[in-house]
Amino acid sequence: MRKNRMFASLAVTALVVSSLVAATSGAQAATRTVTVWSPYSGGNLAMWDAAMKRIETANPGLDIKSVGSIDMAKSLAAINAGNGPDISVSNGNGNLGWFCGTGAWQNLNSLIAGKNGINMSATFNAASVASSISNYVRCALPLYSEVFGFYYNKDLLSKAGFANPPKTTTELLTYSQKLTTFNADGSIKAAGFLPWAGYYGFDMDSMWLGQMFGAKWYGGNASAFSTDRKWAEAFAWQKDFIAKVYGGGDFAKGSKLLTKFVAGKGDEWSGTDHDFITGRVAMKWDANWMAPMFCTGDDWAMADKCTAKVNFGITGFPVSPSNISAYGSGVIGQGQLGISKGSKNVKDAWIVMKALATDTKLAAAWDEANAAPSSLLAKEARPAKYPAWYQPIYDISANPKTAYHTVKNTGEHLEESMLQNLMASWQAGDTPNIKSALADLAQKVNQIIVRNN
Amino acid sequence: MSPFKKKGDIAPPRKKLKVPRLFIFLCLSPWLFGIIFFTAYPMVSSFYQSFTKFNLIETPQWVGLDNFHRMFFEDDDFWKALKNTVWISAISIPLRICFAIFTAWVLTKPKRGSSIYRTIFFLPSMVPAVAATMTFTYIFNPAYGPINKLLQAIGIKEPPFWFMDPAWSKWGLILLGLWGIGDTMIIFLAGLLDVPTSLYEAAELEGASGWQSFRYITLPLMTPVIFFSTVTGVIGSFQYFTQAYVASGQVNDYSHSMYFYATHIYYSAFKAYEMGYASALAWVLLVITLLCTLIILKTQKRWVHYPNGSLFK
Repeated sequence: MRKNRMFASLAVTALVVSSLVAATSGAQAATRTVTVWSPYSGGNLAMWDAAMKRIETANPGLDIKSVGSIDMAKSLAAINAGNGPDISVSNGNGNLGWFCGTGAWQNLNSLIAGKNGINMSATFNAASVASSISNYVRCALPLYSEVFGFYYNKDLLSKAGFANPPKTTTELLTYSQKLTTFNADGSIKAAGFLPWAGYYGFDMDSMWLGQMFGAKWYGGNASAFSTDRKWAEAFAWQKDFIAKVYGGGDFAKGSKLLTKFVAGKGDEWSGTDHDFITGRVAMKWDANWMAPMFCTGDDWAMADKCTAKVNFGITGFPVSPSNISAYGSGVIGQGQLGISKGSKNVKDAWIVMKALATDTKLAAAWDEANAAPSSLLAKEARPAKYPAWYQPIYDISANPKTAYHTVKNTGEHLEESMLQNLMASWQAGDTPNIKSALADLAQKVNQIIVRNN
Repeated sequence: MSPFKKKGDIAPPRKKLKVPRLFIFLCLSPWLFGIIFFTAYPMVSSFYQSFTKFNLIETPQWVGLDNFHRMFFEDDDFWKALKNTVWISAISIPLRICFAIFTAWVLTKPKRGSSIYRTIFFLPSMVPAVAATMTFTYIFNPAYGPINKLLQAIGIKEPPFWFMDPAWSKWGLILLGLWGIGDTMIIFLAGLLDVPTSLYEAAELEGASGWQSFRYITLPLMTPVIFFSTVTGVIGSFQYFTQAYVASGQVNDYSHSMYFYATHIYYSAFKAYEMGYASALAWVLLVITLLCTLIILKTQKRWVHYPNGSLFK
């Protein structure tokens, strides 16, 4: 009887204690909510939410509220109003200087160095590590990458007698001279390579040109457009290239012919009319996410065997002879995560953010869904089976010289669009003196930096 | 005079409607809410912000007249945008009015199927600006666009590069604006149809030529419509944005030949994240537009003839 009473009292005590524990953990769960806003929708959002579920499972008591289809403008408005998410996602690096500079995203330095921190250089590609920092403030973690490399048409090169892609800017000029053909009326029929701002894709040609010559964007806190003479060298090469390859030595003629040639480019997204697919251009800069389309013609998915008309290869950008050690590199851009200003749960937001940035399954899913190479170094982050022809993208991504340009607080990286405009003006023959134009540009960029700091 | 009324009749006093004030206020409240929160408050707020440095995230810092000083003395893009905007206003408004009068006049001529012709001429103005601009960048493409093919076919060996050439890009926008003239044209058409035919008949009897009829009858009677179109044209052209933004995005407008005042406000606010400066730009735009409108209003006495005014006295 006494035993029974003892068991009964023990059972009641256990019940009370377990109820208390449950109530406490319930209360804890209610306070451990992390809100994540992302621009993703459809399949990408499902993939993203699956990662959240994994994080919730690994961290009992953590409740992640994922909201998709929210662009950065909406996130920023909410952050400004004081009701932003704990974590927001940016699809590119462009705004990073502004995020870090204004404090829209919090400084992560102490969290990274803390007990539950990350060894950045051992976890991510060098380029990803470098391009998630601005003005010595790291306010973001890399999520996935987009890699820009050099695409070349193997058949056209082989027909012209070249077994390998050009490694230097000098070789690029020689190759292009041989590959470029003209119509009877003097217009360009097919081009070798176009060092031309605004030919295809995103307005990043000036960044690619700078990468080929190893030109620096900043020296300390000031723009290096005029102090780093490699910029002037790069632009001089561009002009010389246009004159020699397309104008028979006459820059104005080459520029005019190229303007018309560029105007007649095939549709970038049709899968059949792109100049690189039709053979209208033999070599070009482009992003990794164009590779599946060049490969299959009409599909974004990765394919083991390329079935499109173009037989192509991918490699690093040709580089100037003085920058030869950078051969094999390219340009990288990336999606980024940050903890918003005003987040009330930074500790848990960091747990979620770190888990998202280092989730190898998510990284592999990015790879498969968008052909976006992971920013993680770990091989297991990649899909188990990815085509061998795509390997150069990973090689470029992992190259220590691959980079995005240094970002400062210039709004939506205005220095890049301003440089792009200068490149376009220069190639059109509207800028007579590149050195003074670069000096003017540097002054303008410096003014923006001073104003924003 | 109405057969039911006699001279000297006095209208009976109107009955006062007994509607509670609260009901009236409730009926007005949606509009009041809109004007207070979506017009008045943003205007007051942007006026305050125009004297601050504000990047959306940090607290606005009072900088006095710095934004205005920078605008007038340091910002090359401000002057470039203003110059482009004045250019497009000065060229497009008169051209649009002339073209609209001409089109409306042509549309008064058909005896049969006039409604079909009117619909056809009006339709382009219903095409969304983005779609229309993208279509124009295609048809004016120097390599494969039909316009240049046509120009080459008639013997122009080197036709312009249109949107791709800073010297021609704004003319491309002007042509795009003329193509979508339907909304202005319909007002002129209504005005033309309102001109009493007896005036033309009298002029014909007096031996007036077609040009004289137009110069001394049509044009004076059209001046209120011309006045209206000029005022709305000035206000609209100073806010010119969509077509220029889309066209410059389609080509490489490195020289900012299609960079207008509204584009400068947009870039300052949403690319440079300088809300204070963008607010200052917006207020200067308001002042410029207001000044232009006032000047036009002041001069109307000299050239606008209202039907009940001097013309019929």
